[in-house]
Amino acid sequence: MGMGMARLLGSGLIAACVVLISLDALGAERVRLRHVTSIYFDEKGGSVKNPEGVACNDASTLIVADTRNGRLLRYTVDNRTVKPAGEIRAPQVSYPIRVQMNSKGDIFSLDGKQRRIARFGAGGEFKGYVSPEGVPSPTDFIPRSLKVDRNDNLYILDVFSARVLVLGADGKFQRQLAFPKEYGFFSDLAVDFKGSIFLLDSVKAMVFVAAKDATTFTALTQGLRAHLSFPTYLTTDSRGGLYVVDENGAGVVLLGQDGSFLGRQLAMGWNEGLLYYPSQMCLNDKGDVFIADRGNSRVQVFSVVR
Amino acid sequence: MRGRVDWVSLTLVALVALGVSTAHAQQQHKYKLKPGAEGTLCLSCHADFAEKLKSKFVHTPVKTAECTGCHNPHTSNHGKLLSASTKTICATCHDQIVPAKPVSTHLVVVEGNCVRCHDPHASNNKANLLQAGNALCAGCHKTIADALAKIKFKHSPVEGGCLNCHDPHASGKSAHLLKTAMPGLCLDCHKSDSPSFQRQHLNYPVAKANCVSCHNPHGSNTAGILFDTVHTPVASKRCAQCHEAATSPDPFKTRRPGFELCRGCHSTMMNETFSKNRIHWPLVDQTGCMHCHEPHASTQKKLLRAEEATLCGTCHKDTMEWQARLAEKQKQERAALKGRPEKGVFTHQPVQDGACSTCHLAHASDNDHLMSQASVVEGCGACHDWLKHTSHPMGEKYVDPRNKNLSLDCLSCHRAHGTGYRYMMTFPATTELCVQCHAQFKR
Repeated sequence: MGMGMARLLGSGLIAACVVLISLDALGAERVRLRHVTSIYFDEKGGSVKNPEGVACNDASTLIVADTRNGRLLRYTVDNRTVKPAGEIRAPQVSYPIRVQMNSKGDIFSLDGKQRRIARFGAGGEFKGYVSPEGVPSPTDFIPRSLKVDRNDNLYILDVFSARVLVLGADGKFQRQLAFPKEYGFFSDLAVDFKGSIFLLDSVKAMVFVAAKDATTFTALTQGLRAHLSFPTYLTTDSRGGLYVVDENGAGVVLLGQDGSFLGRQLAMGWNEGLLYYPSQMCLNDKGDVFIADRGNSRVQVFSVVR
Repeated sequence: MRGRVDWVSLTLVALVALGVSTAHAQQQHKYKLKPGAEGTLCLSCHADFAEKLKSKFVHTPVKTAECTGCHNPHTSNHGKLLSASTKTICATCHDQIVPAKPVSTHLVVVEGNCVRCHDPHASNNKANLLQAGNALCAGCHKTIADALAKIKFKHSPVEGGCLNCHDPHASGKSAHLLKTAMPGLCLDCHKSDSPSFQRQHLNYPVAKANCVSCHNPHGSNTAGILFDTVHTPVASKRCAQCHEAATSPDPFKTRRPGFELCRGCHSTMMNETFSKNRIHWPLVDQTGCMHCHEPHASTQKKLLRAEEATLCGTCHKDTMEWQARLAEKQKQERAALKGRPEKGVFTHQPVQDGACSTCHLAHASDNDHLMSQASVVEGCGACHDWLKHTSHPMGEKYVDPRNKNLSLDCLSCHRAHGTGYRYMMTFPATTELCVQCHAQFKR
């Protein structure tokens, strides 16, 4: 009898887990991106041209890398109303392709032409190029992308030396992780709230992961070619969910923390709410999503609907 | 207990042996043929087959008159009254043809298409082959065969026969059906410790390297059967220009990593590349130029690793797979038209041909998607000259009604890599496309 009860309880527990997991998955699948507005102009009414980068924070600041115009644009976001708030134009960044912001409002901008990361203060003043101290041999690095975590640590995707460089908030080298052995080409990296680092392989349409204290990357997903054409950007939300921007496929794919496919959002087109060769995207804690809609020469703002 | 186990084992063995023996007998007498009737009976009708049996090499079951080894004399679900599918019947006896863990397999073998090479009954060629020597292989591998007929410097084992190096069915040791992995295969003939060998290779320990990095194993028009396009430092035997000295502990190590090595000589090209806004990112990773170029020698111009379609498709699989689907669609649609004129193609010919460089620059560009032309209209106009006389208004001064930051160009309505719709338009019906902008006509 006792044995039977235990089995019954066990079965019940398993069933409950299955239901909970299913509900969780369903919950994640219910995430939708609803178009709110689009950004076409700067504060003087000048057009944005092929923007490739967007960075946002919870303090209502949005930075746009207005790539073809060779400048950074600042906007404020208030209750989903976006207002221009000036431009940052510096000779050090003539072709910004990716931007990030730290908690102090400092801006990091990767320049596609020079392949260097420039740092600007919250006021837009140039603070120098990121030139980490103490990087072990080889000291040369070429950044393809970058990310800033909650503690203002900087993660650099160094394609030249096939590694991820982790720098402290003070810019000093902390550690490095070598790329995994078998990969196609890494276009981006991401860091979640737990400190796990993710790599996005555009060629194999795969995501790799290294937990906070891990020293190597392992595959988080198999090839996601069925869902992704040519993914080039990866970011995480505050819950640890992964958002993959499919550049050639003009969409956003949502993955669970375990790499499971949770759905695909948006499609190719010119009208608002549609994308044409999107590049970087950014999410803030208020549920705003900003996507640099490069081919459409605009930034689109969406809200996350769960 | 031990004794009991032994008895059980013996009984089992005896039963299995009895079963096998019974099965064999059943097979032998399955059709209850009269003594001596096997084969002979079949030939009474298939009289023309007798001539075939005079061939030099006869398949064992045919020789022993066991036609029923492969055929069912009464009925069958397979052609030629075979007792199993053509794909599987040979493997009934020849199941060892492919090793358990093959590194490479011949497609015809995997497909069970044995009759592409073998005559199942008899032939005047060894192993019942349909043709003798390299002629059989040349039937399918025409490109290699044609090249071999013209080349100046031949590799004698190739002339001796493809099977000198290749296993025709599968290889458990190497890619390309090679009998032994390289360089072992080459070193069976070429003695790497001979003074002349070492002198030719400037004392680099190439016995540990990949010979086909420089040499075309089938022969070539270049002395030393090097691939026809040879990198100048290789041709002039200046290996140390890129590699560490032959006497160093790591002689094959390159003197600089990635593109930095190539920059030494190709500085003009590199400087031009790095002055552009957009770079083809693989150029600056660890592999660098070697993603696309061979460092030593190649069959392709500009030392490319392969023809463009294959090369670009290595990374841009999505584009190439899409092209394959479009080509198939176009083929089906054309077939459905039954000769009636076609209105609008599904595919863009340069893309289908894998001529990516018609529109894109491989190294770097100031334009999006590494396009060679800044203006889409100019880019398309290079081939489509009708753009220059009669077309829908296009250019910088015409704003796209769907998006105030875009001007109208060819890609406002078409996609250069195809869409799955005729004329490579972005909507299936012309009206559906037009009313995207001309909304007043929308019904």
